[in-house]
Amino acid sequence: MEPITALLVVVICVILGGEFASIGVHLIPVGGAPAAMGTATGIATGTIQLMLGAAVVGLFTASSVATFTNSILLVSLSGAVGAMMMMGVVMLMANIIYAFGAGVVPVSGRVAVDPITRESQTEYKTPQTDGHGVPNVSYISGMVGALIGGAGGALMYFALLNYANFPAGVAGIAAISIFVANAIIAAYNIGGTIEGFHDPKFKRIHKAIFSSFFVSLFCGVLVWLTANLGGLL
Amino acid sequence: MTVTPAVEEEVVVAAKPKKGFTFPGDETNLGIIAGVIATIIVLIPGLPAVIKAVGMIFAFLWGMDSVRKTSKYGLGTGVPSIGVLATGYGIIGALVGAACAHVVGSIGPVAPGVLGGVVLMAIVGYLSGVFSNHEKIIGMKIPKLERGMMELGMAGTIGILLEFSIVAGSLDFGLVVEKAISSGLVAIMFILGGMSMFHPYNACLGPDERRERTMMVSVEISGLLSVILGIALLVMGSPWGIGDGISLIIFGALVWLVFYRRFIQACMKECYATVGTGLIKTLG
Amino acid sequence: MPIEVVLLFAWMLVIAFLAFIACTFEDLESDTGSQSNPNSQVQLAAQVGQVNRFFNKAISGEPLSNAMYSATAGTVAWVLLQKFEPLVPDAKWKVAILAIPLGVLAAAMVHVIFATTAHCGRTAAQKRFEQPIYLDVLYGHLLPIATHGFMTTFCITSIAYIQSNIGYLAFGLENHPLNHPFALPLLCFIWGITVGSIGSSTGDIHYGTEREFQDRPFGEGKRVVYHGKITRYADCGIRTQRDIVGFCAKFGGPCTGLTFGLIILFENYRTLVGMRLGGFLSALPAITRPEEMFILAGDLAAIWGIVVGLLIGIALTAGNMVLVKWLRKRYGPFVGV
Repeated sequence: MEPITALLVVVICVILGGEFASIGVHLIPVGGAPAAMGTATGIATGTIQLMLGAAVVGLFTASSVATFTNSILLVSLSGAVGAMMMMGVVMLMANIIYAFGAGVVPVSGRVAVDPITRESQTEYKTPQTDGHGVPNVSYISGMVGALIGGAGGALMYFALLNYANFPAGVAGIAAISIFVANAIIAAYNIGGTIEGFHDPKFKRIHKAIFSSFFVSLFCGVLVWLTANLGGLL
Repeated sequence: MTVTPAVEEEVVVAAKPKKGFTFPGDETNLGIIAGVIATIIVLIPGLPAVIKAVGMIFAFLWGMDSVRKTSKYGLGTGVPSIGVLATGYGIIGALVGAACAHVVGSIGPVAPGVLGGVVLMAIVGYLSGVFSNHEKIIGMKIPKLERGMMELGMAGTIGILLEFSIVAGSLDFGLVVEKAISSGLVAIMFILGGMSMFHPYNACLGPDERRERTMMVSVEISGLLSVILGIALLVMGSPWGIGDGISLIIFGALVWLVFYRRFIQACMKECYATVGTGLIKTLG
Repeated sequence: MPIEVVLLFAWMLVIAFLAFIACTFEDLESDTGSQSNPNSQVQLAAQVGQVNRFFNKAISGEPLSNAMYSATAGTVAWVLLQKFEPLVPDAKWKVAILAIPLGVLAAAMVHVIFATTAHCGRTAAQKRFEQPIYLDVLYGHLLPIATHGFMTTFCITSIAYIQSNIGYLAFGLENHPLNHPFALPLLCFIWGITVGSIGSSTGDIHYGTEREFQDRPFGEGKRVVYHGKITRYADCGIRTQRDIVGFCAKFGGPCTGLTFGLIILFENYRTLVGMRLGGFLSALPAITRPEEMFILAGDLAAIWGIVVGLLIGIALTAGNMVLVKWLRKRYGPFVGV
């Protein structure tokens, strides 16, 4: 591939991957520390930690799949589905522990009625808390978010592997690094916790997309610079 | 906490001074001293591993100080996030730096190309600081976040570059990719390098945190990292022979021992009380 | 079905089993020394006047700390493998039996060092709240922390070893293209992040919501006013972290283990089933070089893998909907005050 075409392709793929990471972070329900005490809706861990865990499972499968297929779509989708599966099992088991370990019903703290299943939420909520567990709307939002985020990670990996000609290990660690940078900036945008697409904080997403665009743009150019100057292209 | 000197420091950094050690131990001065020492060491990739490890300790100390001063105000996502950001940027910057060094070549023992990676990462770090802090964009409202993120990008890049150069023995791009990254050693560099930046402040978090005590943890973790890199160096081979790895292990172990002891002693002395055992104070 | 393919499925099940053990112990390890999100309450406790005898092991979030132990173990094991594999060229697995435990031992030492710095550092920073360092708490928890961490790291390193050598283990060929492209330490790092991420997002709930506030009403989310006011008394005497492990080992730990086990099982299962449905498995014994992997059956395998994964995802979503519906019916609206 010509260096200029490679520049375009790599930069576009890295920007897309970064944007996907950013959007994914906004969609997964993360409650942070309060969720571990059943004081907030979502999964009881930090945004980056959860998103990174999901994306990395996707990346593992994607890198396996990339050894036997050349299609960027299939590799990205494999990563996306891997991340989605990780998130799905985690949220389901979290609900099981909430239900049978602590005796709480999953309920959203931000909306009175579940926007998808139309189940009322308010009367199930413990007073003085911000909801608890992973209700259906957050679950579906989380699945979609992991799907998008995982696709982002796998897309970046594939682009670095095949268009920037990085060896597999370099492509993997560089994809993780760019993913993490975007996820952290998105996490700062939501202040650490979010319930899903129905959360009022989700309306701030354009700010993260804007920042993520430029950060990914620079990272993409730097990656291309590495490949070009290092003689890989 | 230190509100008044804030403006002054901002101006100083914008001008990029090379000297001015009026207040040793102050955040700005530490950044300058550590940054200059680490940069000089990273510029000469042919040095023995022990000297590179000294530079690495300084680089991560600088990074730790930046983590401390930015996350003092509460990030909303925990202290580690910003350290991971620094390490992530560090990996990208180190790759760029090694590639630049590949093109620019070396003047005598000095490889000025690596500075390309450091400068580019400083720009990216500064930009992400602006994006995160600007009122109209993310608006985190953390004083001096721009400067902190810029320093984190630079410290991370220099630290990771030094780690690469310890393991690969030089900063030749092909060697770095083959010996440091494709072998998988980059994993330990990523995580322990990050740990020596974000673990100290996270571990010492609290109202009575003291900066010197926090710094000891960073040096101690860098010592551990040196031990592990020394073990790896025994297999990777180095132009200085087997003594390079062994001396690095001994150096790392000594650094770790000294600072770990000092840290634990300082903690036990400075905490409310150190008791063998005891009951808890119940509320009256 | 050729024996190699059977071996592939067998190794997949071994990996899933190891994953189950790994994550169970990961959660228990984070309960042995209070870590991750529930630790915010231990940190807060002294601040609201509740001096306690908990072990404040704040090693920067479980994903990163577990990635660190696993990467350390992976690096040391990798170094030993590189050093000693040439000595026994026809039976390389013998080196693994030596290298993996030694690597994990190194990781356990690093773990203990980090645990002491975190506990002492955090306690010393709480001087004004009159929280002392209890030496018996400090020393008494180090060994359980190290052993629980050892189990996790050992399983993760073994998983990474199997995955980076799966082609060799199943087909008996050096550098088989089916070996995972990432090196052993990088795989350890990846699975360390995942195991920590899962341990902190599922297992912590049992510790944080239930065990930390056991003298509060059951069946409700813990209100903001309770925060920091953790249960400090055990069945007999004053509670330390060791009383918590035994409790969480009965529900939170195994559930967490099941989560990671299921994820690994589903992930490997859908890849292998996709390979089978796409006809890639039958083509696999003839492949010896990486370039030969790119055949039509490979694309079909990827497509089938995605389809199977999506089906599992839909099943999980439906499962959650059924669970939530059942819970709402059985538990009913909130009735307390």
